[in-house]
Parts: sequence; C-alpha cells; structure tokens
Amino acid sequence: MARKRGRGMAACWYGIARTATIDRAAAWAEIDDGGSAKIVTGVTEIGEGILTVLAQIAAHEIGVKPEHVVIGDNDTARAPEAAHAGASRQTYMIGNVVALASREARKRLVGVMAEMWDVAAETIRTGNGEIWAENTNHRITMGEAVACAKNRGVVPVGSATFGTDTTGIQDGKGGDGSGRPWQAYVFGCQVAEVEVDTVTGEVQVLAVWAAHDVGRAVNPQGVEGQIEGGIVQAIGQGLMEDYQLKDGHTSTSGFAKYILPTSLDVPRVNSIIIEDPDPIGPLGVKGIGEPAMVPTIPAVMNAIYDAVGVRVFDLPATPEKILLAMREKARREAAMAMQAAE
Amino acid sequence: MVDIRLNATINGRKVSRDAKPHLRLLDFLRDDLNLTGNKEGCGAGECGTCSVFVDGMLVKSCLMPVAKAQGATVDTIESLAKSGELSVLQKAFHKAGASQCGYCIPGMVMAATAALRANPFADREEIKERLGGNICRCTGYQKIFDAVELARDVQNGRLPATALLETDTADGDVIGKSVRRIDAPSKVSGRLKYAGDMIMPGMLHVQVLRSPHAHARIVSIDTSAALAMEGVESVITSADVPGKDGFGVFVHDQPVMAHDKVRYVGEAVAAVAAEDALTAKRAVAAIKVVYEQLTPVFDPDVAMREGAAVVHDYAPDNITKHIPIRVGDVEAGFAESDLVIEENYSTQAIEHAYLEPEAGLAYVDHDDVVTVVSPSQNITHHRHMLARIIAKPISKVRFVMSPVGGGFGGKEDMIYQGMLALLAMKTMRPVRLVYTREESIISTAKRHPSRTNLRMGVMHDGRIKALAMRMVCDGGAYGLSTEGVMRKAAILAAGPYSIPNVRIDTYGIYTNNTPSGAFRSFGALQTQFATESHLDIIAERLGLDPFEIRRINAMRDGATTHTKQTLGSVSLMRALEAAEQASGWEAGAPAVRGETRGDLGHDDVRPSVTLGTRFAAGDTQEAAE
Ligand code: FES
Ligand code: FES
Repeated sequence: MARKRGRGMAACWYGIARTATIDRAAAWAEIDDGGSAKIVTGVTEIGEGILTVLAQIAAHEIGVKPEHVVIGDNDTARAPEAAHAGASRQTYMIGNVVALASREARKRLVGVMAEMWDVAAETIRTGNGEIWAENTNHRITMGEAVACAKNRGVVPVGSATFGTDTTGIQDGKGGDGSGRPWQAYVFGCQVAEVEVDTVTGEVQVLAVWAAHDVGRAVNPQGVEGQIEGGIVQAIGQGLMEDYQLKDGHTSTSGFAKYILPTSLDVPRVNSIIIEDPDPIGPLGVKGIGEPAMVPTIPAVMNAIYDAVGVRVFDLPATPEKILLAMREKARREAAMAMQAAE
Repeated sequence: MVDIRLNATINGRKVSRDAKPHLRLLDFLRDDLNLTGNKEGCGAGECGTCSVFVDGMLVKSCLMPVAKAQGATVDTIESLAKSGELSVLQKAFHKAGASQCGYCIPGMVMAATAALRANPFADREEIKERLGGNICRCTGYQKIFDAVELARDVQNGRLPATALLETDTADGDVIGKSVRRIDAPSKVSGRLKYAGDMIMPGMLHVQVLRSPHAHARIVSIDTSAALAMEGVESVITSADVPGKDGFGVFVHDQPVMAHDKVRYVGEAVAAVAAEDALTAKRAVAAIKVVYEQLTPVFDPDVAMREGAAVVHDYAPDNITKHIPIRVGDVEAGFAESDLVIEENYSTQAIEHAYLEPEAGLAYVDHDDVVTVVSPSQNITHHRHMLARIIAKPISKVRFVMSPVGGGFGGKEDMIYQGMLALLAMKTMRPVRLVYTREESIISTAKRHPSRTNLRMGVMHDGRIKALAMRMVCDGGAYGLSTEGVMRKAAILAAGPYSIPNVRIDTYGIYTNNTPSGAFRSFGALQTQFATESHLDIIAERLGLDPFEIRRINAMRDGATTHTKQTLGSVSLMRALEAAEQASGWEAGAPAVRGETRGDLGHDDVRPSVTLGTRFAAGDTQEAAE
C-alpha cells in the first residue's frame, strides 16, 4: 500500500490583544439622520472581516440593521486611536469599544425619547430600526427619533475608550517572567487526518477538525474563515513553504520557487466554535485570527507519525525529508532485526 | 521604440489607443485604461490575480505583451458586474464569505467564471482543479469552493436565487448571525482601490536602490548621474533625513535608508522619484555606491559567540532580546520525574506572501500635513515614528490606512513609508511606490526561524513535572517585532498545562539575514510546535492517548499560568472534548496506529487528490507498481 493514512491532534492557547502591555482603543458613534449609525475608529479591515463585525455590533447595540451602519475611514487625523491591526485584538479591543460608544449614543437618544414620551428610560427598547416604549403605543422609527432629538437641540453621539487591565512581565535580568500579559485567553484543539505517499513522501492533509474558543462569535462565518485560512497558512509552513537564504541572498524570490498552498493542497476544515464569554469586556467576545494557526502543524506532524512512524523535527516536512526519515527508520529496524537474529 | 496603435474591444467597448510596445496587457489595462480591478500579485504567471478573458479564454495578463491583444476582445473583472449588478457568481462569493482581504478575488472570480463556463456542472473536486492556478493567502479556499458550488447550483436551478440573499436579522438579533461581509461587493467586483491602484494628479513614481551585500560599510553614494536624468525629480539617501532616523516596533534600530552601513541584502540604500516608473528604474541603476565589505554573520548561534561580527553597535552580543520564564525548581523537577525526554526542533523562515505587495502614496497637503496612504497595520505607531524621523509635530503627520491586501503581521513595520514621506516633502508632489513581488520577498520581514531544545520530565501517570525550553531565533538584521515575538513565544511556550517547574529562555538574535518580524501567531507557533510534538512522543512512551495526557495536565478554571497569573474560566477541556467528539477520535496511544485505526475516512474528510497535484510523478509511480 503506497499511501498510508493517520491522525494526530494538538492543543493550543493564546492571549488576546497586545502582549504584556496595556492595550487601548477608542471609537466615536453617532446615530445619524434617517436612523443610520456612523462609527469612526482608527483601524480597518485587513481582510479578517472586522468592518462587518463592527457593523453588527453597532447595529445590535443601537438597534438598527447592520446595512445601516457606516464605518468611517480610519485615518490618524480624522479618527480616534484604535492602535494596530494585529495581535488578534480587533474584535476584542475595537469590538468592545464600538459597543460602548454605541451604547452612549443610544443612551442620548433614549434620554430624549423618555422625556418626550414621559416614560422611564429603562422601558425604552430599540431594534431593527425602531424605537418604542414597552407597554405603550409609542413606537417610531429611529430616523424619526433622531429628528425629534435634533429638534430639541441634541445630536445623539457617543464616544468611548476601552483599556486592558494588564501588566508587563518581569523579563529583565534575573526576572522570572511573572506578570499579567493578557486579560483574555483562548484555548483550542485540532485533529488532523493525513495521507502519506510512501513512494514520493508527499503528505496530503485531508481533514482538520478545529475547536476554538472565541468568547462569543459575532459572525460565525467570519470565525470559520479565520480558522480555515489560519490552518492553510500553517499547512504551508508545515509542509512546503521555505524562505531560503545562502550567504544572505535568497533563492526563493518568486512564487515559482517559494511554494504556497493552492486549492489542491487544502484539507476539508470542520470548525467547531466554542463560546466561553470573556467576563471583562462588555460583549464577551475574544479573538481567533492567530490561535487558529497554532495547533495545526503539530497536529499534522503527529498525524504523519501515526501514519508512517516518522517524525519531522525540522520544518517543513517536505517529501524529501519524509522519505529520508522513512529510509532511516527502515534501516534502523533492519539493523535491529539483524541484531535480534544474531 | 515607437508606440503601437492598439485596436481592441475591451469590456464591450471599442478601444483604439497608442501603447508603449514594452507593456504587458496588464499594464495597459491598469495604467493606461485605469481598469485596476485585476491586480498584479506576482508579475510572473504564478498567482492568477491578473486573470482576464482574451477572446473568451482565461489568460494571465501579466504574461501577455500588449501587442498580442491586437484585434482581440478583452474582458476584465469590471465587465462582470454590469452597471453595478453583481453576477450570480459574485453574489455567491458575497454570500459564502469567500473574500477576505480581497486581493486575489478579482482573479479568482474570473477563474471561477471560466470554470463554470467550461463545465456548468463541475463538482467540488473539479472546481478545485480549475482554480489551481489562482493563489489565495487568506481564506484557505474552502469558502471559495463553497461560493462556486453555490453559484453553480443557483445557475442550474438546483437552488433558488434567494439562496444568495442576506441572512435574515428581522428578529433583531444581529450578533451571532453570519451577516454577509459589508466589504465584499467592492472586492468581488474589483471596485475597491488598494494603494497600488490609486493615482493622484501630478503623481511621481518611486523606485528603490537596494543593497547587494549582507554586511558592508557605505563609503560613498554618488547620485549626480541619476539626478541629471530627464524626468527625475528627486533622489534621496539617509543624508536627507531631517530628524532622528530610526524605526521599529520595539527598538528604533532601522533607518529609513541604510545609514553608514548595510546589514542585509535588499536593504534600501537610496530612492528615486521620477515622472514614470521606468525612468525611476533607470535612475536607480545610475546611482553609484562604493561599499567596503564587512564580515557578515548568518547563523544566530554563531552570532551569540564571543568574537562574532557585530550587527548593531548598541548590541555587542547580537542579542536583540532574551526573555526568561521561571517557575519552581526545574532541575529538582527532572530529578523527581520517572521519564525525561529531550529533543531538538527547528522551524524555517517563511514569507507572509500577502497577495498585495507593499504599496503606498504620500503627499504634502494644503496645511503642510505630510500624508501617507498605505496598507499599514499600525497607523498610530507609524505616525509617531515618522514625526520624529521628519522632525515635525504629530499634528503635521497623517497616516491613512488603505485597504490591506493581506497583512498577517507583515505590514506592521514602517519599512517604506519613510521614503515616501521624504520624497513627497522634497518634491512637493504626490509620490507612489509599488513593490514588485521580488522586492517584497527579498526585503520585508519573515517569520522568525527557530531552533529549540526541549526537555520534559513526566511521571508514569502522565503528569508533567518539569519543562525546560531554550529557543534561539534568527531575528535578522533589524529588531522590528523581535522583542515582542520572543516575549509571546516564551509566555505561551509551555502550552496550556499546569507544570510546577518551568524554565524557558527565548533569544532573538541579530544576524545579516533578511529581518524577521511580526507574523500571525507571533512566536507561539514555534514554541507550541515543539511542546505539542513532544507531548505525543511522551504519550507514546507512557502508553497514553494524546487527548488523555493533555487532559491530565490541562489548566482548569482558576489555574495559575507560567507567568503566575491566575486565570478565570479556562475553556481547554471543552476544546479538547469538542475536537475529540467532532472527529470521532478513536482512543489509543500514538504508537503508529495508522491504517489500523477505525476512525479514518469519515464523510467530513476530503477525498485524496490523485490527479493534477504538483507531485503528480508519485501517482504515476504508484500506478506502475
Ligand atoms: S499571475 Fe499575473 S500577476 Fe500573478
Ligand atoms: S482573500 Fe484571497 S488573498 Fe486575501
């Protein structure tokens, strides 16, 4: 049998937002004419889907439809600081702060309506583009409510800042590394099923089951997208990608030599989203961008071992390395059999 | 060379224009006709972002000389969404969440359109083969396949057109729903403008002179011949930096352009702004630099030795950062252990390979604000650093984040924005720089290559008593994110396990290699690769199921981490259980069970590929057996 299958697994953990420093972000929100929402914050899309996540969060908090949320361009001269787009921090830091700013804008609008309708602010509800007071006939559109507020000289705006309760770690001379590097942690586990061609050494990753805690999934499809993309990047590093240098010069300066995973290299990814809400932030969300990538490589290496009994310690596990390891293993086993026979 | 007169039908319109004969069809479409929907991801026929139809055939327009399009019918991504109405396939990409950064998507949509034209009933495996020439770095392709299958079924009437519509949120509950991405229509239609697609009136084009040496002193730079060339507006070097030169996420050790010496091959030495990119390129070639070779150091372990070449004077031991973590008494822990296993692991440098190569525009606005538009992952920090470099108050520096065509950490560094700002200030004209793929690969940060020694002591029952890890990473020529990567790598190195005795040391080391920097999973990928491989080796020795050994050691609610932080809720046990159940895992020690397992080949496993793989030779051999 030239092709052998096997399975392996690995777990992971990861910290959300900036490491061992205080992270922070700010946002402005406005419930605009016509009942749409305007959000301005200093960071944008790097492909992960954050704009959609922020639109959903603002829509949820203010009570409008996601398609009625406009997100301002991020620009250091026009938007409040939201720091950087990395560290799996976008949904956590910016998502939470957009929720807080949206709540403040909503509170302003609700305050006006409570006064106008002469009801307690707590009885006012918003949703789906409407605002109403419970157990009354008061119900108007958000657009009408904004007009009411403006007629009373109020523009329903809000702003917020969100910071983490974190510290540096003791990593100076003689330090023990102690500290509180993050306030939100995520955990995950992946199982990989592989097929190893014992003639060519080629490994195909056929499936990955990926279970990750994300706190709360704002957009499950987006979470899956992060998991799928992360796993495939990890497979690239695990099996094929290799930036090679000789005396400081690279021999892999193009995609002909620098091999990336293509549509034929990818496994079926089965994502399982776990929600263990973050107790600190207002939304319970955490993050997924980076943790998705962490367990894949060891899960695949463990699966290769399961299939053919060789383990690759030096990435990437190219067909040549697998074949070499299999040959060595066969040689070792033959030597042992000889010894046993003697 | 005389221009050629090109007559063609482009997106349904007759076009008759003069074109420079050296142009590729892609340049003609993007630069001359401003049809920027199709992208240049590689310029070498390897990524598919430039895919268009020529006489109905899918063609990589970066490989086609413009003259070859004479008389042809050319359709670009812009042709698919007639008057803004997305095609069924584009709608399916939107619905399925198939676009992330979007940079590969115009080419992918073209290839998928061709696939369904060729076979309207193509199954998933055929779709994969037909998309094999198009690279996507973000999505893992799965949702792209989903989208093509969805479009196929709608086109064939197997699914109603309503399958393409927005998820219903009428119940008001918006969070937790897979609402369609709000940025997808602009990405599937090619309408979204990335920095390299943007033009400004009077814009100059920038090219960069790069170091051919890994370690050399710059004796002199003569820019006079370049400056004298017609069409050249400005040439800058490190001497043109008005403020305090230096950037980096942690240490500001990297000059905008090499100062006094070069530290890696590909480092920027000078930059030219000219009326067009070709002139700028010629001017770059006319700059004369005299170098004096210095001894380079390429191996981080060598660089740590006494007497090794020094990359930065401020760090005579070449250590960018060392991070220690200490818990308990690790030697006592090993002494107590029933079994101690030691192994070495290593990981290689890899390239982010975002499909969008670096690009940016800069200009000085009417209020003298130096403005840089680029796909930067950290506009806030970049503005602080640039203000110091150009000696301006922060209020006179503005960063605008253009759509990022993939980042993965690689666009956190301010590697080229400084040159753009300086050239804009010098010329008082808008300037634009677009990297080639080669430039992007040779000169920008990589994932830290690592060498790890890991020792773990366990009891017969599977409890881990002690863990000692030492990881040395090649940080390359500049600090960038190395300090942070070493920190995160160390904090997370021992995995989510309660271990009473821990000693972890991570070292980021300067060498004369391409710098290493931020890369998705930031050091944790390297250390946890070692730890999680190691756990399986130990589980085999102890005869334990791999889930079991992890459960035995798993952090639980209220656990104390290796940095002595007390956690609240810990979801690890839930994650283990979920993966175990979903995969239908058959319990057993990881002792090469392989084909004897009963849990292989479930429905949620893809078929193995037998045709069209890049390792096709193997299949022929197998068939011959
Ligand atoms: S294939 Fe043409 S740009 Fe990559
Ligand atoms: S979405 Fe495909 S490269 Fe980013």
